[in-house]
Amino acid sequence: MYKLLLVLRYLRRKLAPMFAALAVTLCTAMVIIVSSVMGGFLDMFKVAARQASSDVTVESGLGGFPHYEELVKRLESLPEVAGATAVVRSFGLVRLEGNTNGVEIMGIDPGGYDKVSDYKKMLYWTSDYFVKWIEDLKNEQGGANPQEQQRLEEGARYYRENDFRQYAMQFEIPPGWRNARAENAGESPEAGANTGGVSGAADTSGGPGVVLGIAVSPYQRRDEKGQYDFENSPLRSASSREVVVTVLPVTKQGGVLEPAVRKMIAVNEFKSGLYEIDKNRVYVAFDFLQKLLKMDSHQRFNEETGNLSGEMVPGRAHRVMVRAKEGVTSEQLQQRVEAELLKLGTDYEDVGPLLAVTWQEAHQGLLGAVEKEKLMVTFLFAVVSVVAYAMIAVIFYMIVMEKTRDIGVLRALGAAREGVAGIFLGYGLAIGIVGSLLGLFLAAEVVWNINEIQALLARTVGFQMWNPEVYYFDRIPSQLNPKEVTVIVGTAILASVLGALVPAIAAARLNPVEALRYE
Amino acid sequence: MVAATAKKEVECILAARDLHKHYRMGEEDLHVLAGVEIAVKPGEWVAVLGASGSGKSTLLHLLGGLDRPDQGQVWFDGQEVFRLRGGRLDRYRNQHVGFVFQFYHLLPELTALENVLIGAMVGTTMWGWPLISREKRQQATDLLEQLGLGERLRHRPNKLSGGERQRVAIARALVNNPDVLLADEPTGNLDQKTGQQILEVLQSLHRAGQSIVMVTHDTRIAAAADRQVTLEGGRLRA
Ligand SMILES: Nc1ncnc2c1ncn2[C@@H]1O[C@H](COP(=O)(O)OP(=O)(O)OP(=O)(O)O)[C@@H](O)[C@H]1O
Ligand SMILES: [Mg+2]
Repeated sequence: MYKLLLVLRYLRRKLAPMFAALAVTLCTAMVIIVSSVMGGFLDMFKVAARQASSDVTVESGLGGFPHYEELVKRLESLPEVAGATAVVRSFGLVRLEGNTNGVEIMGIDPGGYDKVSDYKKMLYWTSDYFVKWIEDLKNEQGGANPQEQQRLEEGARYYRENDFRQYAMQFEIPPGWRNARAENAGESPEAGANTGGVSGAADTSGGPGVVLGIAVSPYQRRDEKGQYDFENSPLRSASSREVVVTVLPVTKQGGVLEPAVRKMIAVNEFKSGLYEIDKNRVYVAFDFLQKLLKMDSHQRFNEETGNLSGEMVPGRAHRVMVRAKEGVTSEQLQQRVEAELLKLGTDYEDVGPLLAVTWQEAHQGLLGAVEKEKLMVTFLFAVVSVVAYAMIAVIFYMIVMEKTRDIGVLRALGAAREGVAGIFLGYGLAIGIVGSLLGLFLAAEVVWNINEIQALLARTVGFQMWNPEVYYFDRIPSQLNPKEVTVIVGTAILASVLGALVPAIAAARLNPVEALRYE
Repeated sequence: MVAATAKKEVECILAARDLHKHYRMGEEDLHVLAGVEIAVKPGEWVAVLGASGSGKSTLLHLLGGLDRPDQGQVWFDGQEVFRLRGGRLDRYRNQHVGFVFQFYHLLPELTALENVLIGAMVGTTMWGWPLISREKRQQATDLLEQLGLGERLRHRPNKLSGGERQRVAIARALVNNPDVLLADEPTGNLDQKTGQQILEVLQSLHRAGQSIVMVTHDTRIAAAADRQVTLEGGRLRA
């Protein structure tokens, strides 16, 4: 009982334990903040990575593999599978606004692709952006030309009533968006957009639309909020949205055919959350790219006669992407898919070797790096914390020295050695609990408001620690992981008790008679 | 012969037989106690006189079980004190003897009342304390009131005068109703008048039947005791 009383009194009276508690508070807060932010980072990467590559991807080489329709059908009938879709893919060049870049070109069926990767959510420009853009144009002109104003009005109404993303979901070109130079060399960008509402019907035939990664265009920049401005988008004018795509068809045997070049029109941009993908990928329609790569189903050419043989060669795809149902892990799905691939291999001899890869495996490089980084930073801060706990040990030792005579008195009053040690261990425990809980509150306060804090810092002292132009997520992760927090707080408390252990043992071993003599 | 000795020790509440204590300082061997014999009867007040450095405090610490002799025994109520095991020596200090020191040795963080109560707290567990805390609190308050400190219960030691501190220390030593009070120069740090007050406290305790062993330089203070012994050359002289 006297131990409790003394622990409480010692806590209230002395400055030194305040410093010890403060050290615990700061260390705890530091480790929680770092691991929360880094962990949040990792989680965001994981979500983005999984979204970008679905749960399991069936892959072949550049030549592709046949009977993918059959595979998709079989996979979709599995109870573990939420959706499956085939993809053709090639590396090629994209020329837009005078710049040529090497990119990955993916041919997808948007509906099926949406089922495996939330494709629709990734599409960046919605009707709202267009409506706002047109409104801005209207205000800029300030009613100079009533006829023009009328057309802008109708354009805005058109996009208000139609989900703009729908065009990208079909790779369909919105009305009035046809290649400006081909149709009307003098057409102004505004006219390109806003005639849509008026003369829509004539132009909805569809065509080679392309969806660009949001970072493919070199003019795209994020603002300080991490948002993109429609002003900089290639979609802003009829001339800038014109894209030239060049691909190299690869034969099944691995030979390279003549490059295929197509003019296309950008119908939207997408943001996956992974910069590497957003910088280096464009989406086009599956059938379009398959044909361009000469991978579609066709009649075999008879070399002896020089005529078509009448024998059909099946179309090929490069990948089949599979999304797992809720509650099925990607590893479980991978096993199921592998079994299915074996079956397909025995049913069709010409399938060739196929590989089922989980999203974790596909993004191992990036995820591994972020994971290691998190571990390392947390470890570094833990090392810093060790210094703090050494400080606690020193502070406690000082307290023991200061209390030497009191320890002698307590022994004279009949306190056992263990009792004296107990006082200081209890003291360490109390400081650990107080310090780490304060640290937890501090960390929670900082983590939950980290975006506001950083905005405040940016505004008042001009210091921007998180630059959304540099980092790929527009917000700093601000979640506490309850399990991690419990471990950190528990460790802090334990470490405080351990820090007090050596001084407590020293106190217990004091000779009471000498302690009483101590001045 | 053995039976007679044992009988004699039972008659005394506290006795020391052939106590030896050495302090070794490098090569030198300081033989502070060289065969001390003392026997305190129940209710007796013994004053121990002696020059500074003669080993009076050392003797008191041995009698109170705070330090161990190199040779010899201390008997309490027919039991050999240094044969007590497993916390029973701590219990002996807590329940059967009460120490009073020259420099009071109060705990500075605690109030006067808490300083008295801590002696009682040491003897119980955290779970046992709530059962007796009211009773002990009352007892401690009564003790302090008897010693004229009724108004000073919530004061910390640094707000008290030397005499007041020593009275708190005496109350602390008495809170567990010890069989023997061990006082090491209780007036040594006080002026004559205050020393006289403390002496009066001890006298009234003695009248109530308290056994006391008191160390002092002061022959006038020692005169109040039933019996004076002098420590000289490591032995006690009557
Ligand atoms: N831990 C120790 N190590 C070495 N010598 C010690 C130790 N403790 C006490 N002594 C010596 O033992 C002798 C007796 O000490 P003690 O404190 O018992 O004397 P005392 O009679 O109480 O003196 P005083 O009247 O000054 O209080 C002294 O000479 C002291 O220096
Ligand atoms: Mg002394």
